[in-house]
Amino acid sequence: MRKNGRSREPDRLREPTANGADEPASEAALDADELVVRYPSADDPVIDGETLAVPEGEVTALIGPNGSGKSTLLKGLANRLEPDEGRVLLDGRRVDSFGSKELARRIGRLSQRNTAPETISVEELIERGRYPHRGFFESRTADDDEAVDDAVEMAGVGHLRDREVGTLSGGQAQLVWIAMALAQDTDVLLLDEPTTFLDPRHQLEVMRVVETLRDESDATVVVVLHDISQAARYADNVVALKAGSIRAAGPPEAVVTDDLLADVFDIDAEVIQTEHGPVVVPLDPTDGDHPSRTEGTDCS
Amino acid sequence: MAELFDRLADRRAAANRWYADSTLAGVALGSLAVLVGATLLQVSFGAFPLTLGEAWGAVFDPEVLFSFQAWRAFLLGGDLPEWFTQQQHIVWNIRLPRILVGALVGANLAVSGAIFQIITRNELASPYILGVSDGAGLVVLVVLTAFSELLPFVPVLAALGGGVAFLLVYVIAWKNGTSPVRLVLAGVIVGTVFGSVQRALFFFIDDLSTVMSAQAWLSGSLLNTDWGEVRIALPFTVVALALAFVVTKELDVLALGEETADSLGMPVEKMRFAVAGIAVLSTAAAIAVAGLIGFVGLIVPHMVRNVVGGDSRRLLLGCLFLGPALLVGADVGARLALNPIQLPVGIITGLVGGPYFLYLMRKSENLGDV
Repeated sequence: MRKNGRSREPDRLREPTANGADEPASEAALDADELVVRYPSADDPVIDGETLAVPEGEVTALIGPNGSGKSTLLKGLANRLEPDEGRVLLDGRRVDSFGSKELARRIGRLSQRNTAPETISVEELIERGRYPHRGFFESRTADDDEAVDDAVEMAGVGHLRDREVGTLSGGQAQLVWIAMALAQDTDVLLLDEPTTFLDPRHQLEVMRVVETLRDESDATVVVVLHDISQAARYADNVVALKAGSIRAAGPPEAVVTDDLLADVFDIDAEVIQTEHGPVVVPLDPTDGDHPSRTEGTDCS
Repeated sequence: MAELFDRLADRRAAANRWYADSTLAGVALGSLAVLVGATLLQVSFGAFPLTLGEAWGAVFDPEVLFSFQAWRAFLLGGDLPEWFTQQQHIVWNIRLPRILVGALVGANLAVSGAIFQIITRNELASPYILGVSDGAGLVVLVVLTAFSELLPFVPVLAALGGGVAFLLVYVIAWKNGTSPVRLVLAGVIVGTVFGSVQRALFFFIDDLSTVMSAQAWLSGSLLNTDWGEVRIALPFTVVALALAFVVTKELDVLALGEETADSLGMPVEKMRFAVAGIAVLSTAAAIAVAGLIGFVGLIVPHMVRNVVGGDSRRLLLGCLFLGPALLVGADVGARLALNPIQLPVGIITGLVGGPYFLYLMRKSENLGDV
């Protein structure tokens, strides 16, 4: 989250035909190569030999149905799950060669469900994001104060600072958790379904933080989203997963299409281009004898 | 304008920090007051009664307080100075060590209870949740039934038994790592089996007085404690509590759950084991000198958290004061309530602990989460 004052074009409206090709190919911040990831308790890998490059300084959205391996891929990228095969490179260096705190200073990850002790204050929770920056005997420094202040401001939770975590609503709590991840001050931020279960206003607030990160910092963001329209609106790249394999990756206009939705989500949907980016209107679940079923759809 | 808001926010944050610190100071001062009051009661009552004024004078007797010879006798086990009067002997060699042991045990149980509650992320965890008490209890019964020649070594053996049971719990819970729930379940497994064996062993004791002493030990008692117990408990207490305060930052992060702790770069399994080891050392120091005193390690962290919040450093500091106050206070009741019969202090702490939880259960809706 090193702020450099550089502001990219805030207007996210690109012509669908351009397919983002006018942007120079950015360097990959995270590079997954033939990645095979499995949970220690399971026999079959969830992610089986996938290759993915996450462009630096951009927002990449992972979409896919429940159980398609989005969270697992995220854990693989963050070296939370050690891959069976393949490797993940962070700026050209294998993630498993980093020390645990060293890696935590480079990659932040916010998991799907978080529970904090109810009786600590919001500020205390956010300050815990500074853990990887501290030595064993070190206490809070001026850098920590600054990072916490920046995180509070960026997440817009200044008014909650002194509240106890147990008294927050779900949406407020999510923003506070995001502030904690921001205080970690990493180059790469992995967010696992940050908007699921939130009301529209808090969803927008969360995505505004993501937008700020994209526009005002060098940070690379990978975010798992269930709302396809949200992915299309906020992400520079969309990666669609199904059953542990990447079905499509690229700019939203190229990925979010009727055909792909039918393939990946098994739904009949209409993608409408609006001034706010593509909007997805799900119509029907597809099944074997449904007339609108497209060829090659994997309906299992 | 923005600057004004910033300044206001700073003010408010400062006021909050002051409030948090002042509640902690309140806990500390209140605890000290209880501790001093209980000490004076303990010192003045008994077969050789003193007035409160005499008790005060005896406890803060400069002749003893600043005597190198006396402290060497207390802490290193040398001979008592010959100039001790009978009153000084009764106060300093019989009544005060019991209070001191009570304070050490209370601090150990409260701090280790707070640590176990954080590790298991369960407010209803106690220092005994990971099998420590069951291992120690089993060892005591085995010694009483089969190896009575080892009786003098019971404190150390019991503590070792607790440590071994804790390791066993970890081995049972381990499957590609542990989790709070697996650890608690493994603790239940070990506790159930060890507890059954322990109760079975009672039937092999012929002598009623041995049964009584076993029972007193299992209930937890400060009866007949003297400077010898202080000498056993003090070094381990100092080491364990010092280590506990070194890892408060780690405790704070562990309390966020393993997923978050992991993404913050903490090696969760290693850290959890290390921190649990510190808490087990602390618990073992308490068990060795006072047996299995219940409820202190459960209610003290709970009470402190309700007042000062969940920040680990403040929580442990609060426990460090309230634990001794509660235990020494309860021991006054244990010793004097049914005079001349002395109850094990663990019975009093249980009598206090039960109603406290009843009160909590009535008051709050979501009891159980840290």
